[in-house]
Amino acid sequence: MQIILSVAAARMCAATACAALCAPLCASPSASPPTPPLSVTAADVPWDAGGSIEISWVPAANLGSATTWLVERSEIGADGTSGPWVTVAEVAIATTTTTAAKLSHTAPYWFRVTAVGSDGSSSPTNSPAHTTAHRNFFIGEKLPLFSAILTVCACVIYFILAARKGRPMKVRRIAALEAIDNAVGRATEMGRPILFVAGIQDMDNIQTVAGITVLGHVSKTAAEYDATIEVPTSRSLVMEAARETVQASYLAAGRPEAYNADLIRYITDEQFGFVAYVSGRMVREKPATCFYMGCFYAESLILAETGNSIGAIQIAGTAESSQLPFFVAACDYTLIGEEFMAASAYLSGEPDQMGSLKGQDAGKAIASVLIIVGVVLATFAALSPGGFATAALGALRGILGS
Amino acid sequence: MRIVATDCGSTTTKAILIEERDGVFRQTFRGEAPTTVEDPFADVTLGVTNAVTELQELSGYKLIADDGTIIRRASVNDVDGCDMYISTSSAGGGLQMMVAGVVREMTAESAKRAALGAGAIVMDTIASNDRRKPHEQIQRIRELRPDMVLVSGGTDGGDTKKVIEIAELIAPARPRPRFGSEFCLPLIFAGNKEARTAIERIFSGEGFALSIVDNLRPTLEREHLGPARERIHDVFLEHVMAHAPGYDKLMEWANAPIMPTPGAVGDILQTIAKGRAINVVGVDIGGATTDMFSVFGGIFNRTVSANLGMSYSISNVCAEAGMDSVLRWVHLDMDERELRNRVKNKMIRPTTIPQTLEALVFEQAVSREALRLAYVQHKAFATTLKGVQQQRTVGDAFKQEEAGKSLVDNMALDLMVASGGVLSHAPRMEQTALMMIDAFEPEGFTEIAKDSIFMMPHLGVLASVNPRAAMEVFEKDCLVILGWCVAPRGEVRAGKPAFEYTLTRGGTTLAHGQLVGGEMRLVRFALGESGTLEVRPEKGLDMGAGAGKPISREVRGGSVGIVFDARGRPLKLPHTQAERRACVEKWLKSLEVYV
Repeated sequence: MQIILSVAAARMCAATACAALCAPLCASPSASPPTPPLSVTAADVPWDAGGSIEISWVPAANLGSATTWLVERSEIGADGTSGPWVTVAEVAIATTTTTAAKLSHTAPYWFRVTAVGSDGSSSPTNSPAHTTAHRNFFIGEKLPLFSAILTVCACVIYFILAARKGRPMKVRRIAALEAIDNAVGRATEMGRPILFVAGIQDMDNIQTVAGITVLGHVSKTAAEYDATIEVPTSRSLVMEAARETVQASYLAAGRPEAYNADLIRYITDEQFGFVAYVSGRMVREKPATCFYMGCFYAESLILAETGNSIGAIQIAGTAESSQLPFFVAACDYTLIGEEFMAASAYLSGEPDQMGSLKGQDAGKAIASVLIIVGVVLATFAALSPGGFATAALGALRGILGS
Repeated sequence: MRIVATDCGSTTTKAILIEERDGVFRQTFRGEAPTTVEDPFADVTLGVTNAVTELQELSGYKLIADDGTIIRRASVNDVDGCDMYISTSSAGGGLQMMVAGVVREMTAESAKRAALGAGAIVMDTIASNDRRKPHEQIQRIRELRPDMVLVSGGTDGGDTKKVIEIAELIAPARPRPRFGSEFCLPLIFAGNKEARTAIERIFSGEGFALSIVDNLRPTLEREHLGPARERIHDVFLEHVMAHAPGYDKLMEWANAPIMPTPGAVGDILQTIAKGRAINVVGVDIGGATTDMFSVFGGIFNRTVSANLGMSYSISNVCAEAGMDSVLRWVHLDMDERELRNRVKNKMIRPTTIPQTLEALVFEQAVSREALRLAYVQHKAFATTLKGVQQQRTVGDAFKQEEAGKSLVDNMALDLMVASGGVLSHAPRMEQTALMMIDAFEPEGFTEIAKDSIFMMPHLGVLASVNPRAAMEVFEKDCLVILGWCVAPRGEVRAGKPAFEYTLTRGGTTLAHGQLVGGEMRLVRFALGESGTLEVRPEKGLDMGAGAGKPISREVRGGSVGIVFDARGRPLKLPHTQAERRACVEKWLKSLEVYV
């Protein structure tokens, strides 16, 4: 960058020197240097993060042989001293504005504009005063994003308020969650335990949090049915979280005495050590129902196949798209991605959670509509450039700030 | 062969005479008399004798001996007497049972299904997850006075703890039987075989007559109701009937075990469904309750909607469905206040019958809602087994169906049988047909019939001893074939073509036409006639062969004919009252319902 600036400066100096030295030799009545701009103004770009100043100039009526404008900036005062001048841009002669970017938001800048042509360069016209690129509180180009956030938030708030007022929130039936009662019932009738695996990741993984949320509901149902629930974990923190959740569920079900902390145990952090334990346990104890809710990797198929072989009802839930086919094929029911994350709202039915879910759905619906409209416009714009679709696509891009 | 069959109802004892003539069994005469199970007579056989005496008078055969018993013929050449006597009974409220299981949706539901299928009324279902505290469950058990208790729970080799807990709730609660204070309450255990010893210990010497049968859910994947149902029948005869007045004599008279009336109805429907390889729905709408029977894919289900009926329960029907829902079927101007008075009047004077067209229209509107609600309840109960392992492929990712799906599929339904006062005694057959169509919303091709004199119970018992006779009488005399309903599944657009039909016989076109969305049309097709009906539905509408695909089927004539229904399924009525009324009036006119 520095090299480019130096070259530009050298070329500028050379041009100026050449013009001075060769003028008596080369001058002719028809070969005069271009006329400089009449005035130059610089102004801070509004609604930005700082670092940009917009420079505009008024060209003279007769531009002579000028073909481009050379716009330069300097951080040193314009009180007689000059430079070092750094090129901001070299723009076509028809242009009268440009933006200087990547500026410091603390330093003042001076600008000058020179007309450059085949007959040399004009004398530069300086901006009358220094300008600073201030940081603004709002960034204008982020306005569409801000509007989108406001819209989604408004949807969420609206649906939460509507849900609180008792408006029914229709959520599509999720078979996997509806089947929880039957799965727990099966374990009760068969007199066998329920196995719940909350993934192999720690509590900082959102899927583990979602898994623990489902565990709360499953353990409450198990408490009501008086079924035994076992929760092997591969992280100590997950074990603690699971213990607290299950204990709270037993308390909520009115059976605190039935809670047994020893059934929720830490096994090992090692992926396959953990899987070996769980698989062995499944083969020996033959649980009637297995839940896999959380983040899983290679162990997903091992666990699900073992569960299938012992005749257990299996309900899985994960957002790991690579593991979903295994769970779908080997389990009775599978919560897929978003369904898993929505499980908490679905199971609790609380107005705030349901409203939030519906609000997010509304946001997704808006995004989907914009994507579809954009794709259609882009297709038509590609087929017939310059038509209405091109203009509409440009307008849409402008609105979305992209 | 000559068979006398009786059905001892709560108020009336109905007798029919079935005779074999020219190698075919036909029902020839019918008689009835008041039931005499209550005081001052307190002997059910008196009513039976009176009803059979009426048969005797009508037929000219001597059927009753001087001592009041039914005469048996020594040989088929004898003029007097009969060869066989059979009976059903629902006198004194029928068979009332309490059932219990571990999980409400699993073993408890199977126990309920066994009891209902055997013809019982289930008073309550006790389960470990019925959201009642143990003391509330004990209180409830003490309040009930069942004829019998059925306890299930646990798969074989499965849970014993909860089964024993339930037994330990029932044993100390000591529910008292309805009949006979000194009589031991029959209790059938049809649960985990490993719990039998404990169950025997709990119920020994506690005033229970315990009998143990095979587990009705040996595994969660299999329901095995046969042994439990048979035991219920046996116990009904041995304990319940033996304590009811006069039943000891009646049992001696009968050539086949006396069955609870609904159980017999279920048996005949199962026999018909099996014999003709069809799916059947039967309904018996009474004053206080509505019995619904179905056989889909060979699986029989029965439900009793205890609070849906046309007299004692009419008020509940209006409350449950809402007056707006009832009035949507009415095309006449009616004052809602007056209708409410009419409902209450019917409730306190259950034997009144409509005297004006307005009253008839209103009663039939209520019956549509009662039937609709009973059918909704039936569909929710008649399901596949819950708690069963599912087999999936990756292709099921976005269509994971739950276990416990309803077995009732209107498109697969072949025959609807209507019985009960409001359906059987409607002044015009078209009214019965339309009530059934509006309430059940059959799809595709569905035959509609009615059991005008409620002969199905008799035939149910007869089927157990002479299936051929039962089938022949059922086909020829029991059912009054009303005709067919032909309706597409899917949403129709008002005024746009829905389907085309062509009725042919031997290459001759008998009828041809096109229906538009929202239209109904009646094509008369007399009883005894038959033909081929081809229907070509428009795109998006399904007649049974898939959306937009033509289908043809053999159809038989009936008293009403073929009803083409292009209103779409699910059935939607216009929102505004004026439009709705105009639509209903148009349909009634098309089908000549109140001509």
